Amino acid sequence: MEKVSYDAVVVGAGLAGLMAAHEIASAGYNVAVISKVFPTRSHSAAAEGGIAAYIDGNSDPNDNPEYMAYDTIKGGDYLVDQDAAELLAYKSGEIVMLLERWGTLFNRQPDGRVAVRYFGGQTYPRTRFVGDKTGMALLHTVYEKTSGLGNVDFYFEWFTWELVRDDSRVRGVIAFDMRNMLPVFFKAKAVVMASGGMGMLYRHSTNSYINTGDGYAMALRAKVAIKDPEFVQFHPTALYPSDILISEAARGEGAILRNAKGERFMARYAPKKLDLAPRDIVSRAILTEVKEGRGFPGGYVGLDLTHLGEDYIKERLALAYEAAKSFAGIDATKEMIPVRPAQHYYMGGIDVDITGRNPDLIGLFAAGEAACVSVHGANRLGSNSLLETLVFGRETGRSVVEFLKNYTEPSSDIDNEAEKMANSAYDIVKSESGVHFGEILEKLRDVMWDYVGVFRDENGLKTALSEIIKLREDMKKMYVLDKSKVYNTEFYNALELKNMLDLALVIAHSALNRKESRGAHYRLDYPERDDQNWLKHTIAYLRGNTVEITYKPVKITKWKPEARVY
Amino acid sequence: MSLQNEEMEVVLKIKRYSQDKGYWWQEYKLKVDRFTQFTEALRRIKSEQDPTLAYRASCHMAVCGSCGMKINGEPRLACKTLVIDVAKKYGSNIITIEPMDYYKPVKDLIVDLDDFYQRMYKVKPRLYPHKDVIEGKAEQRLKPEDQRELWKFAQCIWCGLCVSACPSVKMDPEFLGPAAHAKGYRFLADPRDTITEERLKILIDSSWRCTYCYMCYNVCPRDIEPVTAIKKTRAYSKLTKDKTPVILTGEKHSEAIFNSLVETGKIEEAKVYLNTYGLLGSIRDFIYLFQTGKIKYALVKEKPVENISEIRKILSGDNK
Repeated sequence: MEKVSYDAVVVGAGLAGLMAAHEIASAGYNVAVISKVFPTRSHSAAAEGGIAAYIDGNSDPNDNPEYMAYDTIKGGDYLVDQDAAELLAYKSGEIVMLLERWGTLFNRQPDGRVAVRYFGGQTYPRTRFVGDKTGMALLHTVYEKTSGLGNVDFYFEWFTWELVRDDSRVRGVIAFDMRNMLPVFFKAKAVVMASGGMGMLYRHSTNSYINTGDGYAMALRAKVAIKDPEFVQFHPTALYPSDILISEAARGEGAILRNAKGERFMARYAPKKLDLAPRDIVSRAILTEVKEGRGFPGGYVGLDLTHLGEDYIKERLALAYEAAKSFAGIDATKEMIPVRPAQHYYMGGIDVDITGRNPDLIGLFAAGEAACVSVHGANRLGSNSLLETLVFGRETGRSVVEFLKNYTEPSSDIDNEAEKMANSAYDIVKSESGVHFGEILEKLRDVMWDYVGVFRDENGLKTALSEIIKLREDMKKMYVLDKSKVYNTEFYNALELKNMLDLALVIAHSALNRKESRGAHYRLDYPERDDQNWLKHTIAYLRGNTVEITYKPVKITKWKPEARVY
Repeated sequence: MSLQNEEMEVVLKIKRYSQDKGYWWQEYKLKVDRFTQFTEALRRIKSEQDPTLAYRASCHMAVCGSCGMKINGEPRLACKTLVIDVAKKYGSNIITIEPMDYYKPVKDLIVDLDDFYQRMYKVKPRLYPHKDVIEGKAEQRLKPEDQRELWKFAQCIWCGLCVSACPSVKMDPEFLGPAAHAKGYRFLADPRDTITEERLKILIDSSWRCTYCYMCYNVCPRDIEPVTAIKKTRAYSKLTKDKTPVILTGEKHSEAIFNSLVETGKIEEAKVYLNTYGLLGSIRDFIYLFQTGKIKYALVKEKPVENISEIRKILSGDNK
């Protein structure tokens, strides 16, 4: 097996990974960025509505970063580490202005300053945006900037398969060149997991097809914990039936949710914030309307933009307009857009602190959706994820630089170990007959949607667990028909499925374990939040078919938990 | 909100490729509804019928640019195209899917885009702001109208469809191609950028190599109109130092067209040709025209249009 050496390897080339790579490379270290796709194809491109930022001198005069931190903490139902929320809020203006300097074409006020709009759960409007393609605009900026540095090597269309570690520290990763299926051992002093989310675990998701939870599973197999795995966010307004995201910006700009009777039903669920209540609340409200017979046939509600006017819709909500037109045949300037909830974001992730460091494994870092800092707690506020990728991508990059400055070479040799790990990729696909990945994958996505979705209870979660364990058993009979070595996507889909099943087990188990309702984790059998017993982070390890759970306290600085009403 | 669904059985004929076997066509039958995107049809084929089929797809909402391919011969993003729409447009439930033209084949619908990426990197695709801005001593402001103008061209998603459809790219190795020009113009026209001279050196000569066939305009899934970016780039020609023969010829051609319009209100092809390429340069082509009996077209005498004074007014910019 070929070997290459870098100071740092970054897995994933979305916003978090590129930002971390930029920081590390700018300090003079050599970085490899490994991604399944060309960087601008990363899921960050799909983020629409905006990036939250308090900018000194360019915000609502009543606003300040303290309110921003508070909104984030309350939105996350008090499972947020408050030091992380403060850091996020205080660095938000700086990071947006940095991206502006790098060339991002933010929408402007008439005086040329960066414009602002409302998003769900915000006390004051503070979302900065580029139409409703903010993620794409930021991703292109950061990629173009980072690819201009000399000491970042991009390995795109490479599939990272395993984290390599010794007793205590990270030693690199094994990745396959997808063009020829050859494994390479990327030796590294530090590894940053910035591998994004896991939407493909669910039947309905707004996520890109590439979001298969690879980073979480790699961490789990390297005996690293996932923090708060039970917290899966569902976005209330995915286009029916294609599940394409209709940005929260629509409601930020004044769109109204209506049931089949034409009622503004959010008045029943969040009388003060109405349609701009946080996502978990709106998602449950929509599904409750549908369950109680006030939805449209097929199970959806309407998102009404018509009163905003054609010009405004086409400039500020271009993608929403276009998606409704292209994918549902709806003219959003004249008719309501059909929407229903779909999986959207994963609040859980590789356990790290506010510097991006993982406590289980020396030299392992994580950022972006792959990480749980935890800044989103039990429910992420809209326009905080783009912000997190950049702020914590940069923080993580900086702490990698600190780590590299004090690095000492290990004496042990782990090349044989790495060789074995590369070969293990073939283990699951050695059979000459059996089932192929699709048969297992489609079942998994239904199980997760039906039993580990917006509403959960003990019976459903137990069913999910036994189904997942059965699917993991079936996977041993998995068979890859494509014997070619050139761009064998079936082989990588099979590996992705293994990753998905590893993570699914941990999610279902942790959801069954948490006997309360908090943010996006809603238990029909335990409908109340229980701070007495559950104001703590789940820390989950995977050992074979069992999940081991321990707990970590939530960091509280200033804000005592209070009832979450909107 | 009138969501009318319908179902249809279609046959997707996919042009497959492997290094060992070369090309072959394979057919897949599947049921689609009113909302089925081609990416979803492909995903279902892969997970339900034939896992060996290889293609690229990521966001399924036309912002990542992964799924460029030819559908019934048209260069399209698979995600942005609904199966039923194509079946209806062509009046047939048999639909062909092929890899993009121009690029080297890798496997099935996957092509090698390295050539495309190299084109994009050539135009220095990043902002070079003023030193004071980098050091945080100054703030950049941007007029909303400038933001709107630049954003139109900044929305390129690097899908490669325009380059695959561009005839000039195939003919002229010096031509950067449509996407790189859109990207280049986005930074050239950005008032916050500081390396205009260097950008002109990269872009102007190439901009005169475009033949204005409008294929990039037709196929661009983000409606960026790369050809418009190229036109706008040519307007910077007069700022260029060290003009190449291609730039000089291009400028002469524009000027000749302008003069012809001022004189007659028409484009007098022969005269424009003569003024663009000069007497010597034209002689060879005139001989060719004699030999082929086409010289009569070159010798047509154009009469000025009526109301020529109105046209002159418009051309002088005095049309208010």
